[in-house]
Amino acid sequence: MNALISLGSAYGRVFTPSSLLLMAAGVTVGIIFGSIPGLSASMAVALFLPLTFSMSPSMGMNMLVAVYIGGISGGLISAILLNMPGTASSIATCFDGHPMAKNGEAGKALGYGIVFSFIGSIFSFIVLTFCAPLLADIALKFTPAENFGISFFALTMVAVLASGSMVKGVLAGMLGLIFALVGMAPIDGTARFTFGSSSLMAGFDTLPTLIGIFAISEILITAESMGNGTLDVIKMKPIKGFGFSWKDFVYQIPNAIRSALIGTGIGILPGIGGSTSGMLSYVTAKNMSKHPEEFGKGCPDGIVATETANNATIGGAMIPLLVLGIPGDGVTAMMLGGFLIHGLSAGPLLFVKNADVVYGIFAACMICVTLMLLIEFFGIRVFVQLLKIPKHILMPLILVLCCVGAYATNNRIFDVQSIILFGLVGYLYHKFRLPTTPFVLCFLIGKMLETYLRRGIMQYKSFGAFFQRPIFDAFFFVAIGVVVWTVYKEYKMYLNKKGVKAAEQS
Amino acid sequence: MFIKKYGDIIVGGFFMILSAGMMIMAKMLPKSAIMDIGPDFMPMCIGIVTFALAAVLAFLNIKNLKIRTAEAETMEKENLDYKRMLISFILILVYVYLLHPIGFIVSTILYLPLQMYILAPDDKKKKRDIIQLAIITVIFTFVVFFLFRYGFKIILPAGIFTINL
Repeated sequence: MNALISLGSAYGRVFTPSSLLLMAAGVTVGIIFGSIPGLSASMAVALFLPLTFSMSPSMGMNMLVAVYIGGISGGLISAILLNMPGTASSIATCFDGHPMAKNGEAGKALGYGIVFSFIGSIFSFIVLTFCAPLLADIALKFTPAENFGISFFALTMVAVLASGSMVKGVLAGMLGLIFALVGMAPIDGTARFTFGSSSLMAGFDTLPTLIGIFAISEILITAESMGNGTLDVIKMKPIKGFGFSWKDFVYQIPNAIRSALIGTGIGILPGIGGSTSGMLSYVTAKNMSKHPEEFGKGCPDGIVATETANNATIGGAMIPLLVLGIPGDGVTAMMLGGFLIHGLSAGPLLFVKNADVVYGIFAACMICVTLMLLIEFFGIRVFVQLLKIPKHILMPLILVLCCVGAYATNNRIFDVQSIILFGLVGYLYHKFRLPTTPFVLCFLIGKMLETYLRRGIMQYKSFGAFFQRPIFDAFFFVAIGVVVWTVYKEYKMYLNKKGVKAAEQS
Repeated sequence: MFIKKYGDIIVGGFFMILSAGMMIMAKMLPKSAIMDIGPDFMPMCIGIVTFALAAVLAFLNIKNLKIRTAEAETMEKENLDYKRMLISFILILVYVYLLHPIGFIVSTILYLPLQMYILAPDDKKKKRDIIQLAIITVIFTFVVFFLFRYGFKIILPAGIFTINL
């Protein structure tokens, strides 16, 4: 009951014209950062951090929350329209979003993405508001062994994603793991595969890798397909409201609930992050669907799954941040910096000493997602115009923004140069018909997997001791089960194909 | 055509060589003194799995080469423009390497119109179109520069020419 009263008074404080305006500005800038490939949500929060100096602690934190929410959600715009994820969280939005845009349903795809981003966020904020301390307790019990189990589970999803031509798909992922090995090894810092280059010591950064794989290769593929001298223009169907009916919405509810649970759950665990949750939820939706063959060809279910999950991660990630003072990813680490600037220490005491700030943040979360929904709803019609810019003008402009973004990540020119390498990888993957998704997923998880494995073994002395942890067991054996089942399905499909061919010949 | 026929065999061969090389390099990494799993463990695991998968892929495709060749021949030829692709790639490469020494403003003003011209469809290469590209380039370059410099406080490579306000 106390919580409700505090929450009510917090709403009263946040609902002032000046703070609403500041939050709207924060959300807008976040959306812009999120939607440009190369500029990320963490960069936007870093940019706003010094601006909050002069504000009151509560107002400052609300502003950062606004930027964070806008940044994560904005990624879906470029994912759908340009087939380039604006942030790592929206990688899986490309799979179905862009095919839909190609069919002229860009507005509808954006509508789905926006509405379910909103629902995912709201779900996770409700969880955050009412169960934060309880959930943080559970998350605290996670040791490297459990985290290794989750990373391993996420990795085996590659096999599921690649079903259809599994050997090639998994092989495509292995290259991602190989690239993740470059640089200093976790724990002991041994230099691996650096070929004596000091730039390679830090390894390949995530953002330049994504830009290379998605954006640079897309430009090369566009250049190649100009052979006829003209490009086909996408015809756009006009939309009403969000572009889908109430019936469509009701149909997506089970999918959305499942995805929101996955997103919030992954968000609570420090160090896993939105990109993994989006992808995991996409694969789960594909596996549970009655028509998995439609995924990847423009099925709204895919967008719903990804966008609900990656936005639900926000609320999840704030739980360990607020309750324990542990940042789960780059953005929340930046927010922790925000707390320090204002003389607040995130952790259990925050709820006692600065309850007003905490409940202010809860209230701000709810208001910011509503603002996001409104801004993006009115924006849909503007965003879609982006598709009307001729590709030969748009693509080079995006390339320049990508280079600038890659440079701004670490102020290293090496990052800009590495996008060329990954652009080439992406292009060759396209040529040899290898899927790029496993590559990205493996690259993101590779480092985590090794770090947790080695940290766990340091703690427990042997791998065998991992099996005494029930949560690890659950993830590990489910993962093994999924792999065995997928391989079996793949083998059966192979036999079927062979049988059909043999029948044709006779 | 060539890729359709032999693509998977090439992929298999490439990954076999890559993983073999990686395993040899991993063998040379120092062993960990304090625990069983050193920095060489993960590369070894990945190397072995990659090598096995690549071998399977190459083997299956060599076995089915005849079927593949027949399939590839029935498919129609794609109309791809490798010249445009190659020039674009070289342009991007040059741009990225010039970005630091000569600076963001100069290199972007040089790169953008060239790249747009290369990508432009053949009927969009008249004088009027070129002027339009030039105008877009100049406006875009300065907007990005000032936005990052003064809006986002991100300093782009200065090189030989920059603007200080």
